[in-house]
Parts: sequence; C-alpha cells; structure tokens
Amino acid sequence: MPVTNEVLESELGHVTNPSEQQHIRSLWDEADPLMQDISVSLIKGDNNRVDQLTKEALESGFTANTILDEGLIAGMAIVGVKFRDNLIFVPEVLVAARAMKAGMTHIEPILSASGIEPIGTVIMGTVKGDLHDIGKNLCIMMLRGAGFTVIDLGVDTSPEEFIEAVEDNEAGVLGMSALLTTTMPNMGRTIDAFEEVEMRDFVKIMVGGAPLSQEFADDMGADGYGKDAISCVDLAKAFMNPEAEHSVSSIA
Amino acid sequence: MPYQETMSPRERVMNALAGKPVDRTPAVNPTNVATVELMDLVDAPFPYACQDGEMAARLAATGYTELGFDSVSPYFSIIQESSALGCEMQWEEKDNWPTVRMYNPIWKSADDVKIPSDILEHRDMKAITDSIRMLKDEFGDEVAIVGKTMGPWTLAYHVFGVESFLLGTVDNPKETKRALEKLKEISVLFGQAQIDAGADALTFPDHATGDLVSGAYYKEFLQDIHTEMVDILDVPLILHICGKTVDRMPYIAKTGMASFHFDSKNDPQEAMDAVDGGITLVGNINNPETLYARGPEEVRQEVYKCLEAGVQMIGPECAIPLATKIENLMEIPLAIKDWTAERHG
Repeated sequence: MPVTNEVLESELGHVTNPSEQQHIRSLWDEADPLMQDISVSLIKGDNNRVDQLTKEALESGFTANTILDEGLIAGMAIVGVKFRDNLIFVPEVLVAARAMKAGMTHIEPILSASGIEPIGTVIMGTVKGDLHDIGKNLCIMMLRGAGFTVIDLGVDTSPEEFIEAVEDNEAGVLGMSALLTTTMPNMGRTIDAFEEVEMRDFVKIMVGGAPLSQEFADDMGADGYGKDAISCVDLAKAFMNPEAEHSVSSIA
Repeated sequence: MPYQETMSPRERVMNALAGKPVDRTPAVNPTNVATVELMDLVDAPFPYACQDGEMAARLAATGYTELGFDSVSPYFSIIQESSALGCEMQWEEKDNWPTVRMYNPIWKSADDVKIPSDILEHRDMKAITDSIRMLKDEFGDEVAIVGKTMGPWTLAYHVFGVESFLLGTVDNPKETKRALEKLKEISVLFGQAQIDAGADALTFPDHATGDLVSGAYYKEFLQDIHTEMVDILDVPLILHICGKTVDRMPYIAKTGMASFHFDSKNDPQEAMDAVDGGITLVGNINNPETLYARGPEEVRQEVYKCLEAGVQMIGPECAIPLATKIENLMEIPLAIKDWTAERHG
C-alpha cells in the first residue's frame, strides 16, 4: 500500500536524496493508514496522539512489531533525516522521542514477553567527567527500537565501569558519548583501558557526540563514529554482522 | 616598516575588541587556558582554583606570564553562578572540569527562579571577583583582564536540566522567555560585580549552540536579551557559543556585542563573511584534534588560517582539555608574532 497520508507525503519531500527517499518510502509499503497516522503524529511530536493511536492499533489487532516498524521507527526515520539535514534541531527531536516513548510504553511489555531474541547487547554511557546524556538517550531509544538489548551506564562513566559492564553482560558493542571538547580525551583513555586488560579485541567500540568527528574517532582508536542516533544503530548492526569491518567502513 | 610591538597587551586587546587598529593581532583566551601542567607549576589545582580567589588569580596569571597571551581569565569553568544558586555540583579533581549535575535540576519552572540576595557573597562568586581584584593589583593596565558571566540560556540548562528546558521551548515558549528574563538578572549582577572589581571585558557564554538549537531559536529567544546586556554591562562583551553558529552570526552581529568567540566547526573565512564587519571575531583553534592531540606545527597552521581570514583575536575555540600540552598553547602567540613579522618584514 503506498503512502496515502498527505502530511506524510509532504514530510517525505524533506528526503531529497532519491535512493534514501525510496528506502524510507518503502517502510510504508505494507503499512495500513493507521500506521501512517502514527508516523505523522510522531514526526509532529504529538505524544498524546501517538499514545492514543498505539492503543487503538493494538486493540484492532495490529502486532506490536508492526506498530513499531511501520509506525514508530518509520516515523523516526524522517525525524532522523530532518535532524541530520538541519531542518529540525534537538528540541524537535526531543518531542518526537517523547512521542515514541508514549507508543513504546504499550509496545515494550508485549515485545519483552514475546521471547524474541535480541540482535545483540550494547553497553552505552557518557564518558568520565561528562554529564550530558540527551544524545546518548536518543541512541539508546533507537537501539532498543531496533531490537538491541541496551545496558545504560548513565553519565560520568569511568573506564573501569565500562569494562565491568562489557564483561558482566558479554556485550559485543560499546558506545561512548561526550558533549564537551574537554571530556572527549576520556574516550581514548577508556579505549586504552580495554587494551590494558586485554579485552579490546572482544568488543567493538563506537563513539559519538556533537563535537566529535571521524578523525577524532580514528585518533582515539575507536571502531566507528556515529554522527547521530540513526548512524549509531547502523553501526551497531554492522558490528553484529560477520563482515562488520567492511560494513562499518562504508558507513563511516 | 619592520614589525615592532608598540602596544601593551591590554591596549592591544581593548583596541581589537573596539575594532580599532592594533600593532599585531592579540592572543586572547575568552574561556580559559588552564592546564594540569600550569596548575602544578603554580600550585593552584582544580577544583580549589575555582573556589579560592588567590589560587584563581595565580593560575589565570600563567596565561600571560607562561603562555604569552595578551589577556588573563580567572573564571575557568561555567559553573560558579550555578553552584551559588544551589545546583548539585560535581567538583572533580585537577584533571577534570567541575560540572553541574544537570540530571538533578533544582527548579522546574520560571516561578521557582529565586536569586539569593547575598549571591555575590557565595564562595564561588567571590573567588572570581576577588581574583579579578588581585589580577588588577598585580598587572594594572599591562594585560587585559577578561571576566565571565553566564548568560540565561546556559544558566537555564543548569537549573532546569537540558532536556527539560529544551522541551519547554517547544511546549511553552512564553514560559521559557519568562524564565530567561528572570535568569538574566544573575548575568547582570555577576557581570557588574566583576566590572566593579576591575574586569576590562566580559565573556558572555550562552550556549544556544547549533548542535542543539537553530539560528531561528537564537533570534527568538536570545537576540534581544543579548542586545540588552550590551546596554547594561558597560565593558566590551564577548559572546561565546560553541558548535556550528554561522547561521546565527548575522543575528549576533546585530546585538552590539564587541566580539563573538567562535568554534572550530565554523570556517574562519565563512565566519568573517557571515558577520560582515558587524562584530569582531575571536577563535577558533581546534581543541580536541589540534591543541590536545597534535603539535605546534598544526597549531601554527590553524593560527595562520585565522589570521589570513582576518579574524581579529586568536585563541582556543573553547575551554581546553586540561591535559593539553602548554607548548601547543604557547605556539598561538608565537605564530601570531611570526606571521606579523613575515607580513611586515
């Protein structure tokens, strides 16, 4: 079923890259108009409407996975593109994220009870000395939506805490965030700490945060740099792939 | 004419801030250039150098005496006012910046904003005003003393929490404006106290950064407040906003601020074009990739790039990582002098 919602069609106009537009449009190929309504409400940041429509959809017999993929995640794909292209900024992303949370409140318990195996486990935290967490939290929400189990270590995380969490949870992926140029070096110190305890080869490390760049990530010895929450999910998925090295370099 | 220095560092900075001719471009540190190495040198470690006026003055002085900058700045962090307001603090040790635990905010709405009548007497406010007096006593008119008073947008992050504050800008912009109006009184109080203590200029950080909000946000919420600050605080003001800011530079240029301290995410020439002579610029040597992780030669290349673009004052883009090597910082004034000598030689 093609996109029939006029507002959604208009939102798709913000996706100017033809192949990207084709990919994102395909997320609604099988989507019922109700799923499209959920996506539009999420893009507009209307958390009450997303809450109400998600309940309606579940009552109407749509599966939690369908609502997640064709309603919530599909809507966030457009939010991600608009954020990346500077059409919207963090406040607008936050209201969209709040709307997604409203929907997830109904969906998450069903998904958890379904016994579906997670894609993998990701440890996430903001580095030592840095108390900023908006970007990290957006990443976590998107990772969970994509099917990962995420252990959130919060802010101000020491190298030892990262190491312990990776070890305890047998996690294959670690994500570190920093918002300050003054705390970014702590990413390198954490990676060095993994080297020192000879655990570096067992975990893929991705980094992100407003002041970071690919160059800095390379300097610190990270395996990948995510510019935004969507890249973070792409990176984590690539790390879970046996051909991870190839996939990650193509994203970077 | 061969290059010859004819101005004192203070005169050089004040002229540059006023857009007047200078003998050479000044090296200025609107945020700060404190490092662990300098803390050890003068026995003034963090966090104590943020709490004690004498230590703050001693550490700030090294920006001039050891690094060769034309200004000194004793307010190293961005947390003094928030600490005095009662925010939960994480003071850290000498190798990490003190910070506000914004995940545990003290206020929820504009109605909660209450400024203690004795706020200027709080230890962390007095540390700054005391240090400015000491620096003035020590250096007189030799070197420019740059104080710092936080703008209401940054204070709002601290007292309301970043996420909650930014959500409020969408949910209830009127309430956001009311909160900013109340918080700006702290900016005025602390700024005026530093002027009275002897500050020659004030940095005015207000982190409406392009990484978080749009240029339209700057115009809607802050342009008028910043214009008002220029009228009230009678010294040159240096607005500091991190991140990508080219989209808001034309608005910033209209505020009457003396200078804008800009981030390395903005190309120097693009920034100069964006402000179009409406405001002077100071910046924008990259911190994490250049000052922290590279050597003097890379620092020199960035200094030259700024000078070629016509940036009026050169300095790090923001507060530097505390483990930054001082030889990289010393390279900034050295490179400026060499560039000037090459041009006039």
